[in-house]
Amino acid sequence: MHARPDRSPLPRFSLSATLWRGGAFALIWWILAEGRADSWGIGAVTVALATTASLRLAPPGQGRVSFPGLLGFAAFFLVQSAWGGAQVAARAFRSRMDLAPALVDLPVTLPAGMARILLLNTLNLMPGTVSVELRGNRLCLHVLDHRLPVAEEVRQTEAHIARMLRVAA
Amino acid sequence: MTPLEALSALLLLAGAGFYLAGTVGLLRFPDVYARLHALTKADNLGLGLIALGLALQAENLAAGLKILLVWPLVLVASAAVSFAIARRAHELGIAPAGAASPVQPAGGVDQRGGP
Repeated sequence: MHARPDRSPLPRFSLSATLWRGGAFALIWWILAEGRADSWGIGAVTVALATTASLRLAPPGQGRVSFPGLLGFAAFFLVQSAWGGAQVAARAFRSRMDLAPALVDLPVTLPAGMARILLLNTLNLMPGTVSVELRGNRLCLHVLDHRLPVAEEVRQTEAHIARMLRVAA
Repeated sequence: MTPLEALSALLLLAGAGFYLAGTVGLLRFPDVYARLHALTKADNLGLGLIALGLALQAENLAAGLKILLVWPLVLVASAAVSFAIARRAHELGIAPAGAASPVQPAGGVDQRGGP
């Protein structure tokens, strides 16, 4: 484990985080077992292990996720990923593929860690962008068409993530 | 055919269409980066539509949710794998095909790549 100088090595116990995450894992187990009652023996053990792992790997107390922010992000993501799929499908079928690929360097304003990892992965599913490299505060993207407003799209994505995770963008 | 079955069939057909588009893109696009666009975006949308179409035919709520759960899990894996491949290709010095040398920056953006 990485030693973090500003944080004690053992995460503080948080009852609400344990209940929320345990509940979420129990729901996933219920779905995976397709609602069968006879699997809850293994299920209870699995849920307990998953909750423990989650609390260790992502200790609570780093700020709660904003629920309206989460809904906003989910809606934005669904619309954008549908648009992204339709756009790339249209280009694949066009007889003369009108691509204008380029590598684009953009500044990232989100704080390091969870928020940036989420940004990289979200952009991979958004229209026209694939994350190539993150070095310091610079994000390198591959774009299929540099004539499209890529910078604007990245800014919007950053704003949604910032609102959801309650961090500065 | 009930309206629900018709909707399910429509979603499945649309999903198959996006899978076909993803595969056509994989074959036709010029380089590894552009092909990642086809795979991560078209195929994931196709999977979402197919999962939704199949979930409509599920026997009960839990079985339907289980099919729907496949989608976000594959999205996470696919996004992470795409980044890993693109990053490694960039490290190996693979330049994007067809990147025009002096491209006009769109919206105050620095451009790299190309010869």
